[in-house]
Amino acid sequence: MPDFELRISGSGGQGILLAGRILADALGHESLNVAQSQSYEPTSRGGLSRADLVVSDAEVDYPLASDLDYLVILDDIAATASNDLLKQNSLVLVDSLLSELCEMDGYEVCYLPISESARGLGDIRSTNMVALGALTSLAGFCSQDNLLAAVARVAPAKLLDPATRAIRQGYAITEPQS
Amino acid sequence: MPDSAPSETVSLQGNHACALGALAAGCRFFAGYPITPSSEIAERMSVELPRVDGVFIQMEDEIASMGAILGASMGGMKAMTATSGPGFSLKQENLGYAAGAEIPCVIANVMRGGPSTGLPTRPAQADVMQARWGTHGDHPIVVITPDSVPEIYMQTIRAFNLSEQLRVPVVMLYDEALGHLIEQVRVSDGGDIEIANRKWAADPGPEFSPYAAGEDLIPEMVRPGDGFRTHTTGLTHAENGFPTQDPDVVEQYMHRILDKLEIHKGLIESYETIDTNDADYLVVAFGITARAARRAIKQAHEQGIRVGMFRPITLWPFPVEAFESIIDGKRGVLVAEMNAGQLITEIERYRPAECRIEGLNRIDGETITPRQILNRIQELADRE
Repeated sequence: MPDFELRISGSGGQGILLAGRILADALGHESLNVAQSQSYEPTSRGGLSRADLVVSDAEVDYPLASDLDYLVILDDIAATASNDLLKQNSLVLVDSLLSELCEMDGYEVCYLPISESARGLGDIRSTNMVALGALTSLAGFCSQDNLLAAVARVAPAKLLDPATRAIRQGYAITEPQS
Repeated sequence: MPDSAPSETVSLQGNHACALGALAAGCRFFAGYPITPSSEIAERMSVELPRVDGVFIQMEDEIASMGAILGASMGGMKAMTATSGPGFSLKQENLGYAAGAEIPCVIANVMRGGPSTGLPTRPAQADVMQARWGTHGDHPIVVITPDSVPEIYMQTIRAFNLSEQLRVPVVMLYDEALGHLIEQVRVSDGGDIEIANRKWAADPGPEFSPYAAGEDLIPEMVRPGDGFRTHTTGLTHAENGFPTQDPDVVEQYMHRILDKLEIHKGLIESYETIDTNDADYLVVAFGITARAARRAIKQAHEQGIRVGMFRPITLWPFPVEAFESIIDGKRGVLVAEMNAGQLITEIERYRPAECRIEGLNRIDGETITPRQILNRIQELADRE
């Protein structure tokens, strides 16, 4: 059985698949078996986009997500699309701008200012990396250093600095406010 | 191997594993017309082939791509193309030419949903029968259907080996879910994999007949420039390569190209079984659906249900004798496939008396889940 399953969901063009690839690479370097799959629509921008990881320290029998332990929602098109795969103890991260669209009664939901933070960093396109930082911070999959090392391995070089800043911001927004 | 140190484990997408497996097998020519969800095979080949003095051509359409790889293969290269259902339809004429003129080639068909252009980015397993019977006439063809990214890599190597040894087109048939799945693959440095090559004719003497075969029923191939007089045609031909409609010669030719797969079935057939010996029930599945069945079977065992799995790796020719020995004594069989019921028609041919055979089908562009299979296994068991 898989140790955990997660999904990052949003719309095409938000960098959903890149976020999934970076996290898969980071977990692979933790000596875990990672099966990564994705779903997107035949448009270059827009449409439902999902990156799924099934992670286990043993061989992965079924490599597609079927019971999500973690779900990230970054666009209204993804607001309710994955509800069928949630279970009672799933952790759901939702961009706070979408709070009215999601139907999350009964799940542990974290509304976080993900896109707002990206905008604050000067680039809404870093929403995916803020989300990745926040998810990794809350779930504790791996250290921040290992996640940033995966960014360096997987992301295009020109994105390294902005992605690093965005991931750090993602960690920051999960810290308790004083 | 390109892109890797000796025999290292890397995270690879299924389609990239297909491309790297082809290169490991010695493929040095790719012609294609990119189509979702297979495009990453062409994309990877366009990067890798120039590094090994190979040739990548994006052709003007699908049938031209198929024609290009046949020309390259007749010229002596190991060649492949890649496509999805809509493109596979368009390749069928030249695929038949490869079967009839016995030209080695490998075709990857990464299946997507629906007839016509269907569902470009969604998976299906609905080309089971097209892969076997897509081109007209009785013809030999081998179809291989892996269920993981590491297996895509290894079976693509095997596809080339079989194609070269048997002079037959070989189809790598897998669904979009596997094509775009990323898993860890041990990529070989070449030292630990077996590579088979075609037999080349050596003596261009006056008695040479390009389609004369020995007991193995496989004629030697003619290397251009070696001084042979030869002729290749899609018309039914005599041993000298020229067309004929003489019934005796036609019958001999037809039997030879069909029988060559039968007598070499030990080389061709491959399958996996899980816990079939003591099972009351059997799940038959392939590709991504077999991965769902793996988990469902574990869960069924936890409930005390004795169920096993038969997974054809070589889908065509179907491993008949192995399957008949496994289905014998089973009380029920569930055939799970992402189509409206294709493989089940083959399974029903081997149904013993007293055995119930049911289909679990999905045709909505989504994969069959472990839970769906488990539910149907429970229903089979409850009905007893």
